[in-house]
Formats: sequence, C-alpha cells, structure tokens
Amino acid sequence: MSLQMIINALVNAALIAPPAMAFSLLFGILRFPNFAIGGYITVGAFAAYTFNVVFGLSLPLAAAGAMAFTALVVWGTHIIVFRPMQEQSAITLLVVSMAVTLILENVIRFFFSSDVRGFDIPLERPWKVMNAHITPEQLQIIAWSLVIGVSLHLLLAHTRIGRAMRAVADNPMLAAIRGVNAARVTAFTTAVCGALFGLTGVFAGLDLVIEPLVGWNLTIPIFAAAILGGIGSPYGAILGALLVGLAEEATILVLPSTYKVAVGFVIIAVLLLLRPQGLFGTAEIKK
Amino acid sequence: MSETVLATRGLTSGYGKAVICQDVTLALSTGQIICIIGPNGAGKSTLLKTIAGVVRPISGSVQVAGREIAGLSAAQVARSGMAYVPQEANVFRQLTTHENLAMGAWGDPARTDKARARVYDMFPDLRSLRRERAGNLSGGQRQMVAFGMALMLEPQVLLLDEPSAGLSPLMVRQMFDIVRRVNAEGVAILMVEQNAIEGLRIAHRGLVMAAGRVAFEGAAEELLTSKEVSDLYLGTRA
Repeated sequence: MSLQMIINALVNAALIAPPAMAFSLLFGILRFPNFAIGGYITVGAFAAYTFNVVFGLSLPLAAAGAMAFTALVVWGTHIIVFRPMQEQSAITLLVVSMAVTLILENVIRFFFSSDVRGFDIPLERPWKVMNAHITPEQLQIIAWSLVIGVSLHLLLAHTRIGRAMRAVADNPMLAAIRGVNAARVTAFTTAVCGALFGLTGVFAGLDLVIEPLVGWNLTIPIFAAAILGGIGSPYGAILGALLVGLAEEATILVLPSTYKVAVGFVIIAVLLLLRPQGLFGTAEIKK
Repeated sequence: MSETVLATRGLTSGYGKAVICQDVTLALSTGQIICIIGPNGAGKSTLLKTIAGVVRPISGSVQVAGREIAGLSAAQVARSGMAYVPQEANVFRQLTTHENLAMGAWGDPARTDKARARVYDMFPDLRSLRRERAGNLSGGQRQMVAFGMALMLEPQVLLLDEPSAGLSPLMVRQMFDIVRRVNAEGVAILMVEQNAIEGLRIAHRGLVMAAGRVAFEGAAEELLTSKEVSDLYLGTRA
C-alpha cells in the first residue's frame, strides 16, 4: 500500500469518523439505526453552501452556521417524528428514518435542483509529501476530525451531561430512577449529533461535491464503521472508520475503483455473519 | 416517637389493563424495616415499582414524609428523599464504580465527593474497585454499588427489591448485614424478599402479599411464628 493510499484512507476515515460516532451515540440513546443521517449530512452541506455562497460568509462561519442549523433540524425531526413513535419497533423506526432522508433530500432538490455545487473558496495546490499529494482541505478534515474525537471523549468521560448521556444509553430506566431527565439528555444528544452531521456535510462538500445524494452516499460507510466498532460504542466507531477507510483504499489494489462503494456492504454482511456485536460491542444475551 | 415516612393508601396499579396490585395500604415509620413476602406473581415488585414511580398507579395515594407523590415520574420521585434499588439491572454496567456513585448524587451534584467518601467508608471494598466498570464486577460487588448509589443522597426511605437475589449464601448474609447497618443509621427500609425467613429476621414488621393484595400484616416475629404464614408462604416452621 502506497503512502498516497494511506493518506486517502486517513481522509476517508476522518470524513466518516465523526458521523459514525454520532450515529453510535444516537443508537445508544434511541435504540434504532437512524438512516436519516444521510439526509442530515445533505442538510449540513447545503446549509454551509447557502451561508458560504449565497450569503457570502467565510467557510468557518458558514460551517458553524451549518452545524447549528443541522442541530436544529435533527432535534426538530426527533421531536416531530421520532419521539411520538418511540414505542414502535426498531424496524419501524428504521423505515421511518429512511423516509425522513428521502423527504429531506427532495426538499433540498426542490430548492436547489440536482446540480453539483461547490464552496466559494480559493483553489489551492495540493501539498506534496514524499511523492504523495494531500490538499489543504483534506488536512483540515483530518485535523478537525481529531479535534472532534478528543472533544467528544472529554464530553463523554469528564462532564456531568456526558456521564448522563452514557447512563441513559446504558440503562434508561435506572437513569430515571436516579433522577435524570431522559428527555433533556436525549434532546442534548440529538443536538450534538446534529452538529456533527452538519460538519460532516461541510467536510463532504470540501472533499467530494455538494449534491442532494452526498449524504446518502456516505451512509453505508458510516453505518459499516459504527457496526465494525460495535454499534453504540462511539470510541469503537473511530477505529471502525479507520478500518473502513483502509479497506476502501485496499480494494482499489485488486478491483476497479467503482467497487469501492461496495466495501461498506461487504463489511456489514461479514460482521453480521461472524461478529454481530462488532469489535468492541458486547454480545446481547436474549432470554 | 417514630413518625410515618412512607404511606400508601388504597394503592392499585398494573400494566395496561392487567391490574397487578390492588388496594395496598401500608405505613413505614422512621427507623423501621418492613419485609414484604409472598409467592411469585403476588405483585410485590410491582408495588415497589409503583411507589418508586416506575409504574403509574391506577388509583390510591403514596406519601413520602407527608408529601403526595403518586403519579409522579421516577425522576421526580427520586427527588422526594426516597431511593429505589431494583432487583435487576440496578447498576450502569458501562460506567465505573466511581461514576455509578456519582449518578446516585445526580439530584445534588455539590454533595458528590463527600457522599462518595461516606459510601466508600461504608463499603470499603468498593474503593479499590472505583475504576472498574460495574459490568465487570461480581454479583455481590454490583449489589454494593447499587446500594451505594441509592445511599448517596442519604435518603429517608430505601426501597429494596430482593437484595439477596442471585447471591451466594455468604453474600446473602453480608447483604442482610448491610441492610441492618443502613437501617441502624436511621434509614427506613421497605424490602421485598424471596428469602422470606432471613428477610423477616431482620425486619420489624412483615407483610404477606397474595394475588396482588395484602393477605397478612404484623410484627415480623409474629409472622415468623404464625403457623398459617409458615405453612403457606415460608415453606417450613421457623
């Protein structure tokens, strides 16, 4: 594997690690695989595009605005769609979450059409490191992804609300018995995850293109990373993202690059057959 | 003079349309242990869950220190000075012992450090296990964490659902010792226990539930020596 492939794998991993952590956190609290994440990421990408290109804000400000807007959308969707249906089965909620993605994507298509777009940022030459190339944007994605990983760790391990998030994910009934207001913790978690999906939209717009399917195309690798790390384990999701990124790049060595997107599916299928709890998850014993 | 810290009157509750416990009236005084015994399915655990706000009552009243709490959520009941230790899933398995205890002081975080030091004094074994995830602990150690968590905010009333369930005979003895020690510090305890004889031995009063209702009530010693209770619910003469 060449240095270029390792760099590409790192960029892939940095792109899918934050949303995979968010996906895992959401799963821990809400107990269903939320496929609406594709729609949320697309919302983030187009919100940043609107702030950056339409309103003329700098990209960092546009990214902050997109994070806030997506957090609002994810929280709002939770209140309007998922909370009233919380007694339904995980399968029902999964199907509903797919519908949410379709609705969000088509609302975006209605306002922005299916055209491919990009941010209004100056073009910069890629840097050359020992025969490999990396763009400044890709480097920023890696750096921000690391910052997010560390920040999320600090939030979960060293703050009161982070401990409550883990407690509600672990045992919601006991959390209530100890006085934790689960509704508030859930609202906070959805907003934090929403901000991460929004930022992923910005990253995707930098590394890929901005179009209505940008989030959907990332859904399977994110899902694969979260399952690989042990769904519900945000730390495992980071390693899962790294492995998915490496696997996608390694595939190019033996198969045409069009098959890269199939890697996520293969990882999911193999894991569900051999180790459904993922690398760091705990096997659930059903009585 | 002892006063009533927990009282239920005509408490009826269940799941959906199924009524599990009916018209339960009881009064727990300061410093008292009441042990609830009865066959499986008698509604003992449901009664405790209803008092703790986990199951919504259909009718009746629950008062803690004179304040009505029937119908409040479990999170609201947690702030009433009463702490509930469920029979199963009574610790956060992914959190360390230290973090579990902190969750016990959720309602008053300023007291966490002091309260945790007090709980470590009460259960010295937990101090060396403070960085260990609760899911990795033995059944007895987990039960201590569950107790410690419930005692963090020095409740007036402790609700215990089968504290000896699943423990080895040695641990069962230690667990009842702990219940006695906690009670000696002035905490009133309402306890459901399958290990009826041991439970009644440390209790002041006993209550026998059958088919969702209170079938007998009296001093624990009286229940232990009652032929009817022994034959029907204790399995042997004490």
